[in-house]
Amino acid sequence: MKVETSWPRVGRRSRNWFAALVCGWLAVSAGGRANAELEEAHVRPFLERHCAACHAGDEAAAGLDLQRLDWKLDDRESFQRWVKVFDRVSLGQMPPKDAPQPPVGESEAWTRALRGSLLVAERRRLGAGPRTGLRRLTRAEYENTIRDLFDMPGIALQGELPADGSAHGFDKNSEALDVSHVNLAKYLESADRILDMAIATRPVAPAVKTQRISLANPPGFVAHVLLHGDGVLLKNKKPDPEFPPAGEQMHLDQGAHERMGSFHNGASVGLFRHEDEAFHPYFNEFVTIYPGRYRIKTSLWSFQWDRGQVLPSRGVEAARLSIVQLTGDGRGGGHPSTVLAYFDAPSMNEQVHELTTWLNPRETIGFNAASLVSGHTRGKQRAMGYVGPGIACDWLDVEGPLHETWPPTSHRVLFGDLPLREFKPEEHPGVRPPHHVPARQQMFMGKNTPDREEGVWTVLSEQPLEDADRLLASFLPRLFRRPVGVEVRRQYAALVERGLESGECFETAMRRAYRAALCAPDFLYRVEAAGERAGEVDDDALAARLSYFLWNSGPDETLRIKAASGELRNGKALRGEAERLLRDPKSQRFVVDFLGQWLRLRQIAANDPDKKLYPEFSPYLQDSMAAETQAYFRELLERDLDARHLVRSDFAMLNERLAVHYGIPGVSGSQIRRVAVPAGSARGPFLTQAALLKITANGTTTSPVPRGAFVMARLLGQPPEPPPPNVPAVEPDVRGATTIREQLQKHRELAVCASCHSRIDPPGFALEAFDVIGGLRTRYRSIGVGDPAPRGAIDPMIAISFRLGPPVDSSGELPSGEKFGDVLELQRLLAADARPLLRNVAQQLTIYSTGRDVAFSDREMLEQVLSATERQGGGLRTLLLELIDSRLFRMH
Amino acid sequence: MTRSMEGGKDWRRRWATVVSLCLWSASGLSGRADAQDDAAANRAPASEVVYQVTGLFNAARERDLKEVFSRISEVRLVRVDVAQAEATLALDAAQAFPGAKPEQVIERIDQLVRGASRYTFGIKARRELPLDKLQRIEIAVVGLDCRACELAVYEMVYRLPGVEMATASFPERRLVVYVRPGESDRASIEKLLRERGVELLMPPGP
Repeated sequence: MKVETSWPRVGRRSRNWFAALVCGWLAVSAGGRANAELEEAHVRPFLERHCAACHAGDEAAAGLDLQRLDWKLDDRESFQRWVKVFDRVSLGQMPPKDAPQPPVGESEAWTRALRGSLLVAERRRLGAGPRTGLRRLTRAEYENTIRDLFDMPGIALQGELPADGSAHGFDKNSEALDVSHVNLAKYLESADRILDMAIATRPVAPAVKTQRISLANPPGFVAHVLLHGDGVLLKNKKPDPEFPPAGEQMHLDQGAHERMGSFHNGASVGLFRHEDEAFHPYFNEFVTIYPGRYRIKTSLWSFQWDRGQVLPSRGVEAARLSIVQLTGDGRGGGHPSTVLAYFDAPSMNEQVHELTTWLNPRETIGFNAASLVSGHTRGKQRAMGYVGPGIACDWLDVEGPLHETWPPTSHRVLFGDLPLREFKPEEHPGVRPPHHVPARQQMFMGKNTPDREEGVWTVLSEQPLEDADRLLASFLPRLFRRPVGVEVRRQYAALVERGLESGECFETAMRRAYRAALCAPDFLYRVEAAGERAGEVDDDALAARLSYFLWNSGPDETLRIKAASGELRNGKALRGEAERLLRDPKSQRFVVDFLGQWLRLRQIAANDPDKKLYPEFSPYLQDSMAAETQAYFRELLERDLDARHLVRSDFAMLNERLAVHYGIPGVSGSQIRRVAVPAGSARGPFLTQAALLKITANGTTTSPVPRGAFVMARLLGQPPEPPPPNVPAVEPDVRGATTIREQLQKHRELAVCASCHSRIDPPGFALEAFDVIGGLRTRYRSIGVGDPAPRGAIDPMIAISFRLGPPVDSSGELPSGEKFGDVLELQRLLAADARPLLRNVAQQLTIYSTGRDVAFSDREMLEQVLSATERQGGGLRTLLLELIDSRLFRMH
Repeated sequence: MTRSMEGGKDWRRRWATVVSLCLWSASGLSGRADAQDDAAANRAPASEVVYQVTGLFNAARERDLKEVFSRISEVRLVRVDVAQAEATLALDAAQAFPGAKPEQVIERIDQLVRGASRYTFGIKARRELPLDKLQRIEIAVVGLDCRACELAVYEMVYRLPGVEMATASFPERRLVVYVRPGESDRASIEKLLRERGVELLMPPGP
């Protein structure tokens, strides 16, 4: 076949144009090579003069041999290395302070030239195409989008989907979001689950029932421990005379007690231990049958137990309610999937707490006497020998399912106002009825039962094809986040028609189309079309970008309307929408998701601290740590506080448990609130928050290296180079023969290690003042050797076996030569210049919100955002709004 | 309360036969289908029958038993004899258990009582042997002053082979087991109790 056969169709004019293009390309290419040589000739001499002494040969510092660094700016890897060289010189980090410095102006001229070359090369590489690639929805985005679209705010989907990858620190990048056959299979399953839950199959809403449950409910594991004395039954704030506390003798035979009604006699349950691997208190006489919203109420108080006497407690204790998805037949318990809340249990005064939450089938409510210690009280005297705090739960009420309308919103999204009718086969000859699985109690321990259901109820349509087209015209744009053309809609309508022709009823035929749409690329991928403004996304994509940024979900109707009207092109309107989204509780998803990745908060539970070294650690403390970081970020946003607060603050976001952990007095209760930090305390900012200190430790020991690297990368925006291959990690010497500081000193004597470690280690040294759970320390804890440890703020109910080892030295010296004696002084040094901190937050927000890395050529726009922010005080809320209103955010 | 046990076994058998026949007759199950309506129209007055009650292990349980029967409409509790662990019930079997055969009546009553008491009481035929013909084994036990614990220790022993009746009271530190002579013994009962976690108060050694 001759190539020429296609030419006539192109036409003579086009052929000429093509020839010109080829010639031009050749000319540019040749010119490009000449330019490159010219550029290299300008760049290399500076490096030879000022850098080659260290960065040449096999022993080059930091493993960077500049003589072997190719001038191949079109190559991505080579380009990135040149950017790093540029950064180090332009920031004044190179040549080092103790080396001969270039004459005044030479560095500036050199970086200016290099910057020009880098910009040209990058723009050439990036071309005119879209910067943000086609992105699949992340698991969280997928789940949130469905939750919001169908008003099913608790449907659990992401746990069934494969984990997302991560690129440039976030899972929102197209480079990280691949698709496999597993994804596709799971999307199909999810689509069915969504439709099963969304479609109403009965003429009236399930009856609203209120069920009162005792924590002692026999299937809930508590009854068993009551027999043995880890808890007691209480009436009128005294031991229940019908169920005396276990003492030298324990109660016999749980079954006999169940049959005698010991656990259903209206008594309150007092517990002496928190949840652990062997003890999971559940209220599983209620197990959800109908998905929906439920109102949960519980009555809690605390007391001091003294060998049979109920006395006022030491203060406000805290209990946790969580949603538990029961697995298997439920006997083995389940997964505490969602923490609902921590609640206060005041001394001797019951407090009723209430919340409304979505529950899925097979879910129940879990309880944890969170502020109490773990383990059990069973000595010879059991409860009658125990003296210590207890938390009492009088009852828990579950009321629901609560439906404001019927059919529910989820159903109306799919079927509008079409009526639900009983399907009578004789009235529909040749039509197959819909397949509905009757609601049933799936767990034997659940005492709540389904309503009686009669007949098959379904959506009926007199004009199925017209209705299908109308429903799809409403649904598809909402699902696909943009207007949907007639042609596309017809494809889905054709599926409905095919279903009807094959004898399916209207509901089943519509399900075909909805299922296909829920698995369509238009939904699963964020398609960002080019807008009218050159290089920017269109209005619908901008609305979606904003919504997925601040809600981690698709745009709501208000946002879609504003996109459709073109209003979002107005910066003021866009900012207004951003403000509205931030005010909405759904913006907490942004806080959680962004911090989960930027500050690696998702990894807070990645390791369990050693129980002998850190016996005071508990899940309550861990949850409080994460809550502190999230509340602090929220506070920075709401009060528009500046970026210095990343490293230094005069307030902290604390509850009682954290305040005790930090040694800050005067905080009572489980709720996180703003607390002024006493003078001389380093607490408050991200830098010294227990969550980040735990994330950067391994559960047993700390090392300045990972902590220092974390500070450099996540807070200062200067990620260190990865360690060279074949260099073993520096591990703390658990024998105590050498300190980590001594080990690192030896490490830094190697030239290949010194340059990076001189930057990484100093913040890590300062953070040595904090142990693996973020507690302040002046000496390392050890097992076996050392001095006896004072109890300090550790709960008196907790046994201590660790000892105190060598003293902590938290002093150091920054690469700039500035020295610090402790973490407070480091904070002062880091906070002196807010711009790098602000720049880092801006970079992180940009990557998170746009789904791409910040390119070298983006820097100018980023600096404009920073300058605009600083002119208004440098607050983080201002930064976020300036970013949203910038070309950087709108860029295609 | 004590009763004369002279000739008690034969007397009881005769009495039970008479009552059963009455009940059977009254139930309208004599083979005539059309007699059912007649029987309903001419319903016999409720008969009183004495049964052994399981779960009636001490005097405090009498109140529980009365409460249980207050929830049962088919049968009326006439009187309770805690010492014998027996109850006199009044019932019209044909009305209470239509269609039940005579030998099924006691099962039906037992089911009702069990259901209403969450399986803490039960009904069975009277003992064949009077108490004074049974071996009385008293065991000193220690436990919590808890009705459910007493039920637990009672249930540990009363289903053992040879056991006809038992009482349990932790405040009195006493478990009394009545066994048919030669069919069980103290040692085996004590062994079982220990295995089940019951603390025994042993008499001081010699």
